Amino acid sequence: MADEKMKGMEHSEVHYFNSYNHHGIHEEMLKDEVRTRSYMNAIVQNKHLFKDKIVLDVGCGTSILSMFAVKAGAKHVIGVDMSTIIEKAREIVEVNGMSDKITLLQGKMEEVELPFPKVDIIISEWMGYFLLYESMLDTVLYARDKYLAPNGLIFPDKATIFMAGIEDGEYKDEKIGFWDNVYGFDYSPLKHTALTEPLVDTVEIKAVVTDPTAVLTLDLYTCTTADLAFTSPFTLDARRDDFIHALIAWFDIDFTACHKPIRFSTGPHTKYTHWKQTVFYLREVLTVQQGEQVKGVLDNKPNEKNKRDLDVKISYKLETEDPTRQAEGSCEYKMC
Amino acid sequence: MADPTPKKETDAPTSSASSEADILDLKDDEGWEDAEPEEDTTQFISLMDDEVFSDINQMLKHCKEKHNLDFLDLRQKLALDFYGNIKLVNFIRSQVHDGKSIPQDLSRKDFEDEKFLKPILEDDAVLFSLDDLPEVAGAEDSEENDKAKRMEKDPGALVARVSELEDELRRVQLQFESYQNTVKETLDKKWEDKNGSEKEETEEKRDDDSHYFSSYSYNDIHETMLKDTIRTDAYRDFIYNNKDLFAGKVVLDVGCGTGILSMFCAKAGASRVISVDNSAIIDKARENIFNNGFADKITCLRGKIEEVKLPVDKVDIIVSEWMGYCLLYEAMFDSVIWARDKYLQPDGLMVPSHINMWVAPVADPDYISDHIAFWRDVYGFDMKSMQAGIHEDAQVLDMPASTLCSEPFPFLQLSLHTTTVKDLVFKRKWEAKLTKDIDALDGFIIWFDSFFMRTRQEVVPENAKAEEWAASGKKGNAFTTGPGGKVTHWKQGVMLIDSTKEKAESTAMKAGEQLSGELEYAVPEDNSRALNVSMTWKSASDEKEESQSWKMR
Repeated sequence: MADEKMKGMEHSEVHYFNSYNHHGIHEEMLKDEVRTRSYMNAIVQNKHLFKDKIVLDVGCGTSILSMFAVKAGAKHVIGVDMSTIIEKAREIVEVNGMSDKITLLQGKMEEVELPFPKVDIIISEWMGYFLLYESMLDTVLYARDKYLAPNGLIFPDKATIFMAGIEDGEYKDEKIGFWDNVYGFDYSPLKHTALTEPLVDTVEIKAVVTDPTAVLTLDLYTCTTADLAFTSPFTLDARRDDFIHALIAWFDIDFTACHKPIRFSTGPHTKYTHWKQTVFYLREVLTVQQGEQVKGVLDNKPNEKNKRDLDVKISYKLETEDPTRQAEGSCEYKMC
Repeated sequence: MADPTPKKETDAPTSSASSEADILDLKDDEGWEDAEPEEDTTQFISLMDDEVFSDINQMLKHCKEKHNLDFLDLRQKLALDFYGNIKLVNFIRSQVHDGKSIPQDLSRKDFEDEKFLKPILEDDAVLFSLDDLPEVAGAEDSEENDKAKRMEKDPGALVARVSELEDELRRVQLQFESYQNTVKETLDKKWEDKNGSEKEETEEKRDDDSHYFSSYSYNDIHETMLKDTIRTDAYRDFIYNNKDLFAGKVVLDVGCGTGILSMFCAKAGASRVISVDNSAIIDKARENIFNNGFADKITCLRGKIEEVKLPVDKVDIIVSEWMGYCLLYEAMFDSVIWARDKYLQPDGLMVPSHINMWVAPVADPDYISDHIAFWRDVYGFDMKSMQAGIHEDAQVLDMPASTLCSEPFPFLQLSLHTTTVKDLVFKRKWEAKLTKDIDALDGFIIWFDSFFMRTRQEVVPENAKAEEWAASGKKGNAFTTGPGGKVTHWKQGVMLIDSTKEKAESTAMKAGEQLSGELEYAVPEDNSRALNVSMTWKSASDEKEESQSWKMR
C-alpha cells in the first residue's frame, strides 16, 4: 500500500520517503483521522459482527485495521501486505500482545497461502487517489472471490465517485499559466504536459460552482474488475454565475453492514483527508449562469500498456442559449 | 490554450540537400557510425496509400498528384519545426490508417498531441528523411542568399560557413537521436513493471544513476525548482547584473534541466552555451530553447558530462545548479568538478563560486512529539517500532530559526575553482555555545550558503553569511538555504538524535554551555549517490562523548 500511495506524490518527496522506509506515508495515513477513525468506528462499534469471526485484512500496512478487528472480538485476523512494512507490523502486533490472534503474511494476495480456506469478513483500505488510481481494489475483489464465505461481509462495501465544476482562476494560472512565462521565457512544452496531469490537491468548498453529481457507484459485493473501466455521462447544474476552470472528482466510502451505517467523504465540503480531491483542468474557461447545465462524459480506463496508470477522458458541453458562451470540448488526462 | 507562436525553421538544416551530403561524405570517417547510412534500398511508403517509392520526393509528388495532399505546402503553411514535421507525418498516417480523411483546413492543433511523436509505421523511412526535404522558404532565405553571395567573395567566410553547417548537421543529428530516445523512452516507460523493485535488486550490476537521472524526467520536480525563487532569482540576478562577464563568452551548463540557466546566459550575451543533461527533460529544454529563439546559441546534449563530446575544447564559464540536500546528496558536484578540470579555461569562472556550510544544534520538542512520540500511542496501540528509521536517516525539513539553540558554526568552505573530489569527504571540528536553556538536545541541522563572485580571485570569508552579504554592500550575489532566509526546496538536513536508547537520563542543558565535536561526510560503498553524515558531540561539563551516524539515500 505504501508503495502505491507514493505514486501520487512529488518525485522529490518520493526520494525523501524512500529514505526512511516509507514511515512518512504510514504516518500520513494513520494521522488521516477521517480515514482511520471511520474504520475504527466501523469495526470497533460492531462487535456483534466481528465476534468470533475470521477476518482478512487486504493490504494491512502497519496492521492497524487488523488490531481493530481483534479489539472487536475477531477469532483470528490474517493481514496480507506485499511491502516490507509487514516486518514492522509484526513487531507492532507483538508488543500489543496480539501475536496469537493475528497472522501476518508478506506477499501478493494471489500467491500467499491463507491458514483458513474461507473468511467471514474482509477489511481493506484499498482506495487510491481518484478512488481508482494505484488502488488495490482488484486485489480485494480477488480475495472476495476466492476467500469470502457465502454471506460474508466486506468493510467497506460501497464506493461512489462524485464530480463538480470549480472556479479556480488563480491557481490554474499558477499551475498552468506558469509555463507561459518562466522568468521571461516561453515554457509552453511543459504546459502541455501539465494540462494532461490531473492534480491531487485540496479544493475549498467556496470554489465549487456546480452541484455535485455521482458518476460511479461500486458495490463491492457484486462489482468486477471490468467495472473499473467505465464511461459515465454526467450533468452538472450551475449554482451561481461564475467561471469553471476545472472539474474535480472525489469519492465517498460506505460501511453499510454496520449497525448504524458509517460513511465518510473525501469531498471539498468536509474534513481534510490525505486523498484530497483530484483536479482536471480544462483547456478553456466555461462562463456559466445559474441554472445552466454542463453535460459531459467521463471515460476512465486502465492504460493498456501499464495497468497501474489511468487514462481519463472528459468531454463536456455547456448548454446555453447564449451563442457567445457556448463551449464544447474534450480533454485527455493520464494519471501516472 | 492560445496557439503557440509560429516557429521558424531555424533548427532544420539551412543548407540544400546536396551540400549537406557533401559534408556527410567529409565526416564519414569521423565517428558518425550511428547515422543511418542512406542505402539505395530505402523504401518510402506513401503517406496516403500502400505504394512504395525509393525517393521521398517522388513519394510526396505521388501524394500530391494522386491524393491532393501537398505535404511540402502543408509544412510550409503551418511553419512546422522538427517535431511538428514528425507529428504531421504520423498524424496523416494515423488518419489514413483509421480510414479518416485529412481535414482541408488542417491546423497544428489537429496533431499537437504528443502521441503523434510515436511512429505509426515501424522504421518509417519518411521520418528518417525529413531533413532531406527542400527548405521551407521564409525569412531565412534572403539571409541565406546574402551569406552565399558574401561567401563567393570571401574564402574565409566559406570556411566559416562549412563549420557552421557542420554544427547544424551535428545539431540535427542530435535532435534526431533525442527524438529516437524520446520515442523509445515513452514506449519503454510504459512497459516497465513499476512493481519490479525486488527484481531490480537481484540484477547483477549495480546502477546508482538510472534512478537519479529518471527522477529528473518529470515536470513537477522542475516546477518545484523553478518556483524556488530564492534559487532561481539568485542565478538570474547574478547573470543579468553581470552581463559584462557573459558577453561573447562560451558557457557550459552542467545538468541544464529545463534550460533556464542556459537561457539566462544566452540572454546575457553569451556567444554560445552548451547545455548537458542526462535526463529526458533535455528534450523539453531543447523545445524551450527553440521556442525562445536561442536554438542558434544554445546546444543541448543528452548524456553524462563525462561521456558526451562537447563541440568545443574549452569554455569560459561553467554555470551549474548542482547542489543537493545537505549540499552533497546525489553527488552531482563530482561531475561539475570533472567538467571544470576538463573544459574550463585556466582563467575561467565557476558560477556559483563558493559554498559555505553550516551546522547548528536544535531543540524542537513540538516536532519530536508530533512525529516521534506519536508512535507511542496510535489509536490506543503501541507502534514504537515505527520510530526506528527516523533516527537512522537524515531528514529534509524546514526548521524554524527558533529551534536553533546556538549560533550556527561554519564548518566548511568549498571554493568551486579549486575544490577537488577528495575534498568532498571530510571530517571537521565544530563547536557551539548554547544561547538558551533546553530540555533536551534533539539533533543538528546542516545547510549551505551559495556565493556568486565575479572573479576567481575574490575571497569569501569562511564565516560569511549569505543573508548578510547583500546588506554589507559587497559585490557578487549570495543566497542561503538556512533558517535565516526564506525557505528553499533544499530546506535543511536534519539529523535527529536517537533518544530511545538512553533511558531516563536528563539531557537538559543551560544557556552558555559549550558543545564541541566532529562532523564527517562520507559516501557509502553501496551507493555513490547517497551520503553518510556522522557527528560526535560533547558538552564541556560532560565527560562522555556522544556519536551517531545518519544516512541520506
